[in-house]
Amino acid sequence: MNTVLSALLLILAPLLPLLLAFPALRSRLPRPCHIALLPALILLTVPPGVSIDLPWLLLGTGLGIDDGAGRLLLAMSVLIWALAASLLHTAKGQPADDRLTTCFLLTLAGNLGAILATDLVGFFTFSVLMGYGFYALLVAGGDEGARRAARVYLVFLILADLALFEALLIAAATAKDLGFESVRQAMAQSASPGLYLSMVLAGFALKAGVWPLHVWLLPAFRSSRPAVALLLGAVPVAIALLGLVRWLPLGEVSLPALGLVIQAMGVAAMLYAILAGAKRASLTRLPAYAAIFITGLFTTVLGMGLSDPEVWNRQGNLACFLIVSLGFGVAILVAANGWLQARCQYSALPEKQADDSSPWFERWSVAVTRWAAQMGTDTLPRLRAAWLANVDRCLRRIRIWQRTLDGSERFLQRWAYAVTLFLLLGIVVVFVGALSWI
Amino acid sequence: MNWDAALPLLVLASSLLPGLVIFFLTEERVATRTTLNLAGAVLKLMLVGVMIWGVFHGAHYETRLPLLPGLDLLLRADSLSMLFVVLSSILWLVTTVYAVGYLEGSPNRSRFFGFFSLCVTATVGVALAGNLITFVLFYELLTLATYPLIVHRGTDEARRAGRTYLVYTIAGGTLLLVGTVWLYTLSGTLEFTARGFLSGLDATHHWSLVVIFVLLVAGLGVKAALIPLHGWLPQAMVAPAPVSALLHAVAVVKAGAFGIVRVVYDVYGMQFSASLGVTLPLAIVAAATIIYGSMRALFQDDLKRRLAFSTVSQVAYIVLGIAIAGPIAAVGGLVHLVHQGVMKITLFFCAGNLAETLGIHKVSEMNGVGRRMPWTMTAFTVGVFGMIGVPPLAGFISKWYLGLGALDVGQGWVIFILAGSSLLNAAYFLPILYAAWFKAPAGTWPAERSFGRRETAWALLAPPLVTAFLTLALGLLASAPFGLLQWARFITRLEYAP
Repeated sequence: MNTVLSALLLILAPLLPLLLAFPALRSRLPRPCHIALLPALILLTVPPGVSIDLPWLLLGTGLGIDDGAGRLLLAMSVLIWALAASLLHTAKGQPADDRLTTCFLLTLAGNLGAILATDLVGFFTFSVLMGYGFYALLVAGGDEGARRAARVYLVFLILADLALFEALLIAAATAKDLGFESVRQAMAQSASPGLYLSMVLAGFALKAGVWPLHVWLLPAFRSSRPAVALLLGAVPVAIALLGLVRWLPLGEVSLPALGLVIQAMGVAAMLYAILAGAKRASLTRLPAYAAIFITGLFTTVLGMGLSDPEVWNRQGNLACFLIVSLGFGVAILVAANGWLQARCQYSALPEKQADDSSPWFERWSVAVTRWAAQMGTDTLPRLRAAWLANVDRCLRRIRIWQRTLDGSERFLQRWAYAVTLFLLLGIVVVFVGALSWI
Repeated sequence: MNWDAALPLLVLASSLLPGLVIFFLTEERVATRTTLNLAGAVLKLMLVGVMIWGVFHGAHYETRLPLLPGLDLLLRADSLSMLFVVLSSILWLVTTVYAVGYLEGSPNRSRFFGFFSLCVTATVGVALAGNLITFVLFYELLTLATYPLIVHRGTDEARRAGRTYLVYTIAGGTLLLVGTVWLYTLSGTLEFTARGFLSGLDATHHWSLVVIFVLLVAGLGVKAALIPLHGWLPQAMVAPAPVSALLHAVAVVKAGAFGIVRVVYDVYGMQFSASLGVTLPLAIVAAATIIYGSMRALFQDDLKRRLAFSTVSQVAYIVLGIAIAGPIAAVGGLVHLVHQGVMKITLFFCAGNLAETLGIHKVSEMNGVGRRMPWTMTAFTVGVFGMIGVPPLAGFISKWYLGLGALDVGQGWVIFILAGSSLLNAAYFLPILYAAWFKAPAGTWPAERSFGRRETAWALLAPPLVTAFLTLALGLLASAPFGLLQWARFITRLEYAP
């Protein structure tokens, strides 16, 4: 295929969804979300190794498609996004929402851009766009549970982006350019890559929801629209895992201690997914536990790669296949779940219909107190009565803490000036203390 | 007087003359006033374009008029001054369009636009000043021209804010003047010189020079809103939105920050400042301002007050970039001079639109406003993400160079300040976006005005869209040839080249 055409397709793949995100530009198009995928689809037919440099863009960046992980991931993304686009406005009882389409297209642009990025800055930029877009997608398309999941995801996203920004700065100060290969080699030769590695690991672990940072994944799977749930594995999780592969100097450095810790975390994640999944067996939760399991498996392989570069050089492709299988696997499970729901009238939210807007401890506290009052602790055997009294006391204490927190919130609002000065003083004291200690 | 000597004067006159004429226009002469305003702004932009082209090709534009024995009123176009002149000229044009729409039908417009033009004249004078005494003159003129704009509404609150502003800025001006006079007695010259004119002074003046530095920075720090001299800025929020935009993005705070850059670069010189040991304390004050401003912003329900505290925080980035004392951080500081202006003016325009169209003044009233005013809130969203430092927007480029520059000179602590600031920015800006885009509207808006099928008037909508686009373009095209980044690098090369 013509080089100019290939370059054009590389630019259009993230650009077209970005342009179509403006409602005015897509209002007359029949299926804008599907049309937005066309350049990426055609790009799959481009010969391997095509790339373009865009030195005028941002801090100098590039786009390209390699023959290995990139092409495979792009194929997976096109397929899953096409399926999600078909399901976007089909949820029963939920009105079509133009904001949802905008969020969908923004996330798509970020996702495709991250896959095609050939350097750290490009990857970071597109993954940030994807992250905020996906947050908006969760909020716009979901119920209260999804919004709660989105809030946690947003906090993780902000922290992750800060960590990755620090890593980027370190990489820029160390390497001669920010291409993946250059950074990998520069970090392998760096005398102290520790801070870079820890920032990258922390940043992408937060983004991927790697155990034990998976708290937003379960409610997100349970409460999102089918189209959004379909994307959970292939978008935020898969791209974060891809980031680990692209940003870390895998196959170049040997860090046995760090590798062992990461392997242990991976095994723990898999065990957690199996045990928790078996204990709370439910069709709606299955995709979430599958995602946690595969992420754990990926983490284990990553840990092995960090321990021994030879292992990574031999088995590194396995990590990319795991990412692709994560995307496909989760999508298939979500689709099967949706199909079963539709066929068997199975409710997606069987046990969680109660109003849970108040904190859990308040609900439990009230329930326990009411039950104890009805029963009368005197009628219970001594041990159980004592246990019940303890639980009740504990829950009452938590309620007091809650009220104290509410009070402190009001205090903060009323005495903002003084509190700010006090906090600033605290920061200065800590800062000066840390400096003098160093 | 030849063309090269006349051009700086013409740039000043392009806003001064229309301003003086506008003072004498009656309220009903709307078309004449608008034409004069816009013609002046466009003419200034064209003259500045010519000037930039000339400076880039080595032309020397300088106007020298005798002021006092041994002291001239000196206007000079150099690479640093052009950065500020371009910013103020472009944003003046946009703000004029906005102000015409914003003040439509309101009283005392001739007075407003007269002082508005004087304000921009003073700002351009500050930018083009070739010596410290010219700088001080225009700096004080800026104070006097801005005061009537702050008290424009004539309410008790506005007068109180105006008084506070005058007390702060006149006190700051006095410090600046004392420092300038003292400096003249020591050095015998006040002319800005690349790498400073003080480095050759006798070492016995060490402490005098430190004290003068403190006086100058304190005087300039009032307008730059460095803590603890920032108190006037949040109070000045009672002014109309175009004035707030002018205060925060184009003129006042920028004049303070720009003055600090001038003092460090062209009075003391970067190397000499570092050798005097004044840059690290300045960096610490800037860092404390960044965190303090963000923390105060967290608690504000009034939208413009939240933006004001955000300005306190963001302008200190410029000072931090200069005070880190490295070439890469200096690039970050200099580009942020422009970036902050463009991003913050977007946010103030949007805040003005919300107030004028729906009567919204508080963050707690913004639920669901994104559905009612999608274009305004899109611009606001771009501004917010720029402020947080999200790529590919302008704020990211500033933070990138500041962070990289800090690492370059071994001041890694700055990275944590940047991270903390970004976190706090996200904490006080993102809830606004969530409320605007995802919460359901409360019902009726506090004071809704209808503009037919449009969400608001074109004159109010176009400026924030233009500046939001600029926010995106300045980030996306940061590395483009002849871009802002290249210009900032050019300035720092002059200061740091061996």
